Amino acid sequence: MSEDISQREATRTDPAVGAALAGVAVVVALAALTRFLEQTVPAATKGTALGGIAAAIEYPVYAIVLGLLGNVVLARLGLRERLSGGFRTEFFIKTGLVLLGASINFAVIVTAAGPAIAQALILISVVFFFTWWLGGRLGLDDRLRALLASAVSICGISAAIAAAGAVQAKREQLAYTASMVVVFALPSIFLLPLAASALGLAQPVAGAWIGGNIDTTAAVSAAGAIAGEEALQIATIVKTTQNALLGVVAVALTGYFAVRVERSATSARPSAAQLWQRFPKFVLGFLAASVIGTLYVTAVGSSAAKPIIGTVNDLRTLFLILAFVSIGLEFRVAPLREAGWRPVGVFASATVLNLLVGLGLAVLLFSGFAVE
Amino acid sequence: MTNPEATNNPAPPTPPPDPDPAVRASGRASLNEDWAATVVGLVLLVLVLTGLLPGWLVP
Repeated sequence: MSEDISQREATRTDPAVGAALAGVAVVVALAALTRFLEQTVPAATKGTALGGIAAAIEYPVYAIVLGLLGNVVLARLGLRERLSGGFRTEFFIKTGLVLLGASINFAVIVTAAGPAIAQALILISVVFFFTWWLGGRLGLDDRLRALLASAVSICGISAAIAAAGAVQAKREQLAYTASMVVVFALPSIFLLPLAASALGLAQPVAGAWIGGNIDTTAAVSAAGAIAGEEALQIATIVKTTQNALLGVVAVALTGYFAVRVERSATSARPSAAQLWQRFPKFVLGFLAASVIGTLYVTAVGSSAAKPIIGTVNDLRTLFLILAFVSIGLEFRVAPLREAGWRPVGVFASATVLNLLVGLGLAVLLFSGFAVE
Repeated sequence: MTNPEATNNPAPPTPPPDPDPAVRASGRASLNEDWAATVVGLVLLVLVLTGLLPGWLVP
C-alpha cells in the first residue's frame, strides 16, 4: 500500500522534475545569450552612435531584460508556471556570493564588519518599526505587516519567506510581498548606481548605500556590479550582514506572534536551535571562501594568484547572470493587482525612509573606508 | 457572553494555526538552497584553486 503511494508520488513528481530541468535549461540559454551580448555588443557598436551606451551597459542589464522578455514569451506560450521550478534565483545568487567571498580579503570583511553591523542594526530597526507602524495605521493585516516590514528592512524575498514561516502567513501574502520586492528592486538596480554617481559618492559609500537599501540580495549584487568592483564588495558585505541578522528577526517575530498575536501560551519560546535553523547558512560559505581565498593569495603570492582568482570571479559572474535572468523570469504582476494601494503605499514610504536613513548612515560610517 | 479571563478555569490556549503548506515548502526550499549554494560554491572554489577546473572551461 505504502509502496503504491510512493510509486504514485514518484509518477506525480517526475513531470515536475522534468519541467524544472527544462526551466533551468531556459535560464542557462538566456545566460549564454547575456554573455554573448555583453562580450560582442560593445565591440560591434564601437564608433557608432550607440557605442557609448553599449559600452556603459553591464551584464546585469542584459540578464534582467532577457529574463523579463523570456517571462513574457513563456507566459504567452502558457509554459511559465510549469517551468518556474527551474528559476532558482536564491540558489544561483547565494552560490555567486559564496564565490564572491574568495575575492574579498578577509581583513576587509573584518574591518567592514563594525560599520556594516552598526548600519544594519540601525536601518533594520528604524525601517522595520516604521513599516510596522504605518501598516497598522493603514489597517493592514498583522501578518502582511510583518512580511512587508521584514522584506523592506532586511533582505527582500528571503526575509519575507522566513517571516512568513514565523508568523504563519498565507501563500497569497508571501506571493504579494515577493512581487512588491521585485517591483521596487528592478528600477533601484539602475537608479541607485546612477544616483550614487550623480551625488559623487565614493565607491565604498555607494556600496554601503546600495547594500543597505535594495531589498533583495540578487538586486544588490546587480546594482553593485553596475556601480563598480569596490562598491560590489562593500554592498555584499553590508547585505550579507543584514542576511545574518535575518535569523534574529525571524525568531523575534515567531515569539511575538505566538505570545501577543496568537496569544498561545503553549507556543515554544524562541530557542538557540530556532535561531540556528533560521540563520542563512550561505553566510558561512561566504566567510569560509574569503578565508580560503586570503590564505591562498598569501601562500602563492598575489601575482601568481591573480589568474586563478580571476577564474573564480568568472564563475561568480556566471552564477550572478543565472540569478539575474531568474529574477526577470520569476517576476509576477498579478499578486500586486489583487492587494490594492495601501500595502504599495506602505512599502513605497518605507523605501523612501530606507533611502534617506541609509544614505546618511553610509556617508557617516563608510566615508574614508578603503578596500584593498 | 463569556470572558475566559474572568473564570476560574480559563479556556485552554489555542494552538497557532498550521502554516500554509506552500509557505512551509518555500521556507524548506530556502533552507535547502542555503546549504546547496554553500556546498556548490565552496566545491567550485576548491576545484579552481587546485587546478582541477581550469580557466578555459569557464565561459
